[in-house]
Amino acid sequence: MNEMSLTGPCADYEHDLVELLEGSLGPERARVIRLHVESCARCRAWQAEFAAFDAGLAMALPSPALSSDFERRLQARIAALAQPANRSDVRARADREHERLVEALRRGARRHALLDGIGSAAIAICVLALARGLLEQTDTMQLLFEGPQRLVILGGIGTAVALAALAWTAVRSRLPLAG
Amino acid sequence: MAMDDGIERQLAAGRHARAFDLVVPAYKDRVFRLAYSILKDRAAAEDAAQETFVRVWKALPGFDGRAALGTWIYAITRNTCLMELRRRRPTVSFDDPDSTEAQHAAASIATGPAEDPERDNLLRLVEALPRNQQEAVRLFYLEDRSYETVAEQLGMPLGTVKNLLHRARKRLMEVARPDEVKAA
Repeated sequence: MNEMSLTGPCADYEHDLVELLEGSLGPERARVIRLHVESCARCRAWQAEFAAFDAGLAMALPSPALSSDFERRLQARIAALAQPANRSDVRARADREHERLVEALRRGARRHALLDGIGSAAIAICVLALARGLLEQTDTMQLLFEGPQRLVILGGIGTAVALAALAWTAVRSRLPLAG
Repeated sequence: MAMDDGIERQLAAGRHARAFDLVVPAYKDRVFRLAYSILKDRAAAEDAAQETFVRVWKALPGFDGRAALGTWIYAITRNTCLMELRRRRPTVSFDDPDSTEAQHAAASIATGPAEDPERDNLLRLVEALPRNQQEAVRLFYLEDRSYETVAEQLGMPLGTVKNLLHRARKRLMEVARPDEVKAA
């Protein structure tokens, strides 16, 4: 080894000496450094020492490579991850659909119950009102049903009941069964 | 990078699976080398590379393109490797070359087969460098002495990488010839 290298290169040129070896200096700077190296034994010796050291280091460091089945193993791993993800997507969609149907049925059932209640209450009120009216007129019942108005009263009651039944049937037929 | 353009076109079209199929061959070797420079173990680096790509696959639909694709993938790789290092030894500080851990790591090389004592000595010295210098040195030679590639993979400015490598190699040169340095 050159004894001159033991004192190291000129401080201002140290980085440039390395970059000159690696070919990463710009052309103008490279020309300046080459001129300096030609005239400076210390830098010349250090650069030679560095080049030898650099080559030795490059040889010493391991250069491992990926195994040939790397991509195949990765694809298998991705496929394994993707499958449960797809299954869970389908399951989630089915769960959401089921929830939607159950909620629609609940809404329909609530409407049915409400309309049934209103209808029942209306019929009950009508029947009670009719019964009360008839009872209040007990004394005149026979007179009424024997009199000339008999057909008009019976016809009116019959028509009212028929209209109520038709209206109730129409309302119920419009109700959606599944919301 | 032309390959990245193709990948980004697939991503922009929402074809994430197709994009991923292009990402793996384009980046697998560099991801592996980066992982190796950090973990210093071939099998562990390969496992970390696998884990990195699984994370990339999961996160690719959310990649917004604010960073370059390579920068994003290398950041995931570094995080994966750091998690592996933490998992192995949560309290290790590789930044101090005089630490017990660094000395232990250096000693572990010395106990290997002594087929080439000079090479073993050099590797032991590399092992004793601060962690960031070790990573830069390993990666630099694995990547055919490309400062730009090392800077991109380590997520550092180019100048920082150049300084790191210069300090590391100068230090190695000095300690590799202790008698001559002492004589000087």
